[in-house]
Amino acid sequence: MVAAACPQSPWKARFNRFKTWISKPQNAILLILGIILTLTTVFPMVTIVRDTVTVHNGSVDARNAEPGQVYTTYNWTDLFAPQTSTARKLATKNLWTPLLNSVLLSVFACIGAIFYGGIFAYLVTRTNMKCKKYLSSIFIFPYIMPQWTLAVIWRHLFNSNAVTGGSDGLFASLLNIRMPEWWCSGMFPCAVVLALHYAPFAYILIGGIFRNMDANLEEAATILNTPRWKTFLRVTLPLVKPAILSTVLLVFSSAMGSYPIPHYLKLSTLSTKYVELNVQRAGQASILAVIMMLFGFGILLVNQKTTSGRKNFTTVTGKSGQSSVVNLHAGKHILAVVFILTTLFTGILPIIMFAMETFLPNPGDYSFISGGLDHLTTKWWLTSENITENGMYGNKGMLYNSQIWSAFGNTLLVAILCAICAGTIGTLVGYCVSKNRRSKFAAYVNNMAFLPYLMPSLAVGVAFFIFGSRIGIYNTILLLVLTGTIKYIPFASRSALNSMMQLSGEIEEAAIIQDIPWWKRMTRIIIPIQKTSIISGFLLPFMTCLRELTLFMLLCSQTMIITTMLDYFDEMGLYAFSSGINLILIVVILLFNGLVNKLTGASIDSGIGSDSK
Amino acid sequence: MARIELSHVTKRWGGFYAVDDLDLIIEDNAFVTLLGPSGCGKTTTLRMIAGLETPTTGKITIDGVTVFDSDAGINIPANKRRVGFLFQNYALWPNMTVYQNIAFGLSNIKEAGLSVTDNGEIVRNPSAGGAVRKLTKAEIDKIVARVSAIVKIQPFMDRYPGELSGGQQQRVAIARTLAPGPRVLFMDEPLSNLDAKLRLEMRSELQRLHLSTGSTFVYVTHDQMEAMTLATRICLISNGVLQQYDEPLKVYNQPNNTFVADFVGNPAINFMNARGAQQADGSFSLKLLDDYEAVFTPSERVNTEDWYREADADIAAFEAKVRPAEKTNKDVPFNYPIHTVTDAPAPPAPDREDWVLGVRPEFIHISEDGPVEGEVFSAMPTGMETTVRIKVGNYLLTGVVFGGVLYKIGQKIRLSFSGDGATLFSRVNGRLVATGSLSVKK
Repeated sequence: MVAAACPQSPWKARFNRFKTWISKPQNAILLILGIILTLTTVFPMVTIVRDTVTVHNGSVDARNAEPGQVYTTYNWTDLFAPQTSTARKLATKNLWTPLLNSVLLSVFACIGAIFYGGIFAYLVTRTNMKCKKYLSSIFIFPYIMPQWTLAVIWRHLFNSNAVTGGSDGLFASLLNIRMPEWWCSGMFPCAVVLALHYAPFAYILIGGIFRNMDANLEEAATILNTPRWKTFLRVTLPLVKPAILSTVLLVFSSAMGSYPIPHYLKLSTLSTKYVELNVQRAGQASILAVIMMLFGFGILLVNQKTTSGRKNFTTVTGKSGQSSVVNLHAGKHILAVVFILTTLFTGILPIIMFAMETFLPNPGDYSFISGGLDHLTTKWWLTSENITENGMYGNKGMLYNSQIWSAFGNTLLVAILCAICAGTIGTLVGYCVSKNRRSKFAAYVNNMAFLPYLMPSLAVGVAFFIFGSRIGIYNTILLLVLTGTIKYIPFASRSALNSMMQLSGEIEEAAIIQDIPWWKRMTRIIIPIQKTSIISGFLLPFMTCLRELTLFMLLCSQTMIITTMLDYFDEMGLYAFSSGINLILIVVILLFNGLVNKLTGASIDSGIGSDSK
Repeated sequence: MARIELSHVTKRWGGFYAVDDLDLIIEDNAFVTLLGPSGCGKTTTLRMIAGLETPTTGKITIDGVTVFDSDAGINIPANKRRVGFLFQNYALWPNMTVYQNIAFGLSNIKEAGLSVTDNGEIVRNPSAGGAVRKLTKAEIDKIVARVSAIVKIQPFMDRYPGELSGGQQQRVAIARTLAPGPRVLFMDEPLSNLDAKLRLEMRSELQRLHLSTGSTFVYVTHDQMEAMTLATRICLISNGVLQQYDEPLKVYNQPNNTFVADFVGNPAINFMNARGAQQADGSFSLKLLDDYEAVFTPSERVNTEDWYREADADIAAFEAKVRPAEKTNKDVPFNYPIHTVTDAPAPPAPDREDWVLGVRPEFIHISEDGPVEGEVFSAMPTGMETTVRIKVGNYLLTGVVFGGVLYKIGQKIRLSFSGDGATLFSRVNGRLVATGSLSVKK
C-alpha cells in the first residue's frame, strides 16, 4: 500500500475526516443550516447594536452631533449617564420606568400563569373534577386567540367615560358600575390578561408531566405512610419543577416582548416605549431593544443551565399508567362550575363580545338590550359604497372592504410561507441535531435555532426592521416571511427534535444498510412515522403567524396585513371594524385548529407540549 | 461468502477509547460472536465493520475490498458495503406492512448483472455486465416469498409490525435482512428483547440459518451462554481491548486471563489466591484457602522465568503504544472476585510467588474422602443439576452436582478438585500460566 507507506500529513487526515463527515446528508444539512441561521440570527442583532451608536437624521442624536459625524455615543450616555436634571427625568421616563414595568409585568405574568395554569393542570390530571374534557379544550382558547383579545375585552367590560374617557363599557352602561383607574389600565389588568393568556402554556407543560408521571413514585411514598401533602411537596412538586421552570422562562420572555397588551391597557413598558420613541429617538429606542435582547440571552443561559440538570427527570414515564386520583367529593362539582364560569369569560365571551360589537351602531351603545333588536345595525358588515355620513369614514363594510380582504390575503400568504419555511427548516434542524447528539456544532445550531424563541418578539421585530430597511426590503412580504420564519423555527425544531429523539437511530440505519437513498428514507420512513409532530411543527408557526402583531408591526405599513390593519382601525376609533377583524381571526384560527386536529391528530397543544424540553 | 479483516482499528471520542487497536480476522462462513460486558466496545466494533460508525484510525476489509482505511482516506458508506444488519430492537418500519418492510430495500436495488433464481434467490453480480435495471414486481414477490418461508412468516404479510409479537417481529427483521442477499450478516444482540423460552428457540434457528445461508455471521452479545452455544469463535472484548479470540471451548477451558475466566461460565469460576514456588519437576507447590497445602501439576511443562519474561515484554509493548490522546478509560488489572463469608482484608501486593487458581464448579468433587473440609452454605437444585455453595474456612466455593441431590444447609461435607481443568494465573498480571490438575494434601 503506497498510501500507508508514506507518512500522512495531519491536514490530509483532517480532510479525510471532514470528507467522511460531510458525506452524510444530516451533516451537510447541519452545516448549511448552521451558516444560514448564524447569519439570519446574528446579523440583525449586530445591526441593532450598531444602530444604537449611529447618528440618525432628524433625531436627537443628530442635533447633538457634528455635521457629517456617523457614529455617536450620545444615545447611551444620555440614557445611562444623564448630565442635566431634564435629561435625568427623561432617562427615568424613557428607560428606567419602562424597564421596571417590563420586569414586574413579566414576573407577575409568570406567577399568575403558573398558579392558574398549574392548579388547573393538577385538577384535570390528578383529581376527579367534573367536565375535564370540555374544560381542558376551552382552557387553551386564550392562547390560541390573539394576545390582545382579552385586553380589548377588558376595555370593553370595564372602561367608563368617567374614569378612562371614551365610551362606556358593558359594566358602566348596563350595571352602572365604574371600576377604578387601577383596575382599568396599567399594571394590574396587564398582568392579569397576560397571565390568563399564558396560563394554557403552564397547563400544557405542567399537565404533561402530571399525566406522564409514573404513579409508582407517589405510590412508593404512600406505601411508606407519607401524608398526602408531604408526598405532593417532596415527590410530586420536584418532578414538576422543570416544567414550571420552562414555563417561567417562556412566559417571561414572551411577556417582556409583548406589545399589544400594555399598549391597549396603557402601561409604559420597554416595548410600548420603543414604539413611542422610535421616530424622535431612534437610537435610544434601539437601546431598549438591545436591553430586551439581553434578557433573551439571559433566559437562554438559564434555560441551558437548567436543561442539563433536568435530565434526571426525563424518565418520568413509567409502566403503571393509572395514576392515583384525588377524590374531591363535593368539590368536584364546585370547582368544575368555577372553571366553567371563568373559562366562559376567557374563552367564549370574547367571541360573543366581538360579534356583538360589530352590530352596535356606535361603540359602547348597548341600547339594544333595553330597546330591542332594531337598535342594532348591519352597516359595519354590509355597506357597499363609499359614504362618509354614517360614521365609517369612507370605509366600505367589512364584507365589501377590499382593503381588509387584501390584508387578510396577505396574512394568509405570509402565514403559509412562514409555516412552510419554518416547518421545513425546523424539521431538518430537529432531524440533524438528533443524528448528532454528541456534537458541539449540532448543539450550537440547535441553540441558534432556539434563540429567537426566547428573544422578545419586539426585539426580533426591531432587529429585522433595521436590517430590512438597510437592505431595502422594508414593507415587503419577503421581510415578513423572513422574520416570521426565523422567529418560528423553534416551534418546529423543538417538536421535531423531541420526536426524532424518540425515534431509534436503528430505524434509519436499517434503511441505510439496504442502500435506500436519503430522500427516500425521509419521505417513506422518517416523515410518515413522525407525521403528527412534524405537522404540528408546521401548524404552530401558521397559527401564530395569523395572529402575530408585535413581531410584524414595525416591518410593514399598517394596511399590509390583517393584524396591523386591526391596529389601524382601533386607532381610528372604528371599534366595530377591529372587533370584526378579531372575530374573523379567532374563528379562522379555531377552525384551522379543529380541522387539522380532526384530520391528523396533531394539535396546537401537542405542539406546545413538546416545548417542555 | 466473505472474510473480514480488521487491522489496528481504533475508535475514540476524545480520550475515551471505545475500541483500542483491534486486530481481528473473521474467516469466511464463520459465526463469530463479539462478547463482553456492556460498554466494552463490542457494538461499536460491529457498527464500524458495517459502516454505521466511522473508526478513528485503522483499516477494514470485507471480501478483499478495503471498505475503510484511515491512511488512504477510503470510507465506503454502509449502504455500499452490501451487508445485512439485524438490530436489537428489530427496527422494523412501523408505517409499513410486513411485506413492504421486506420489499422496500429490494425495490431500491438498481444495478447491472441482476437476476433472481427460480427458488427466489437474488444473484448480484455487477461485474457480469448487462443493463442496469431494477427488480420487477414478480421478482420481488419471489424473493419475499423465499425469505418469508425461511423464517415462517407467510401468514403475516399484510400485518403491521405493531400487530406482531416480539418473536414474529424478530423473524420479519431477519427476513428483511436476508432479502437483498447480504455477504455478511451482522447481529446486534438480536435476542435480548425476547423472553427466555423464545430466545432458546431463536438461538437454534439462527444456527440453522447460518448453516443454510452459508454467510459470515458476526454477532454481538453480552450473554456468554449465547456466545458459547452459537459461535464458531468467540471474540471477547473488555474496555475496548481484545482479551481472547478462540473457539468457545478453548475460551472456556484455557482462558487467557482472570477476566476471561470469570466472564465465561455460569456459575462462575472459583478463584483462590495461592502462594508458592515452582518445583524442579515443573509442578507448583502451593498454599491456599489459608491452611491447605496443594500441588498444581501443569498439563504442559512451563518455565516461569521464561513465561514472565514473555508476559512482561508483551505488557511493555502494550504500554509503549503511541496514542494520539491519553486513554482516559484506563486499563486496570481485572479485580477477580474471591467470595468470602465475612469481608476479608485485602491481600498484600503480589510478587512472583503469588498465584490465582481458577477451578470451574464442575471440577469441585464432593466425596466422603475429599481432603478439603467444608459445610453447605446454600444449595439450589434445579432438577437437572444442583448448584452448591460450600463454606471452607471463611471462603466460599461454588460447585455443580448433576442430578437432584438434596443438601441440607449447614451439612458438613468434604471435597476435592478433580480432573485437569484447573487454571493457574499469575497474580501479578492476571495472565494464564498453565492449566493442569490440582491436588490438595490432607
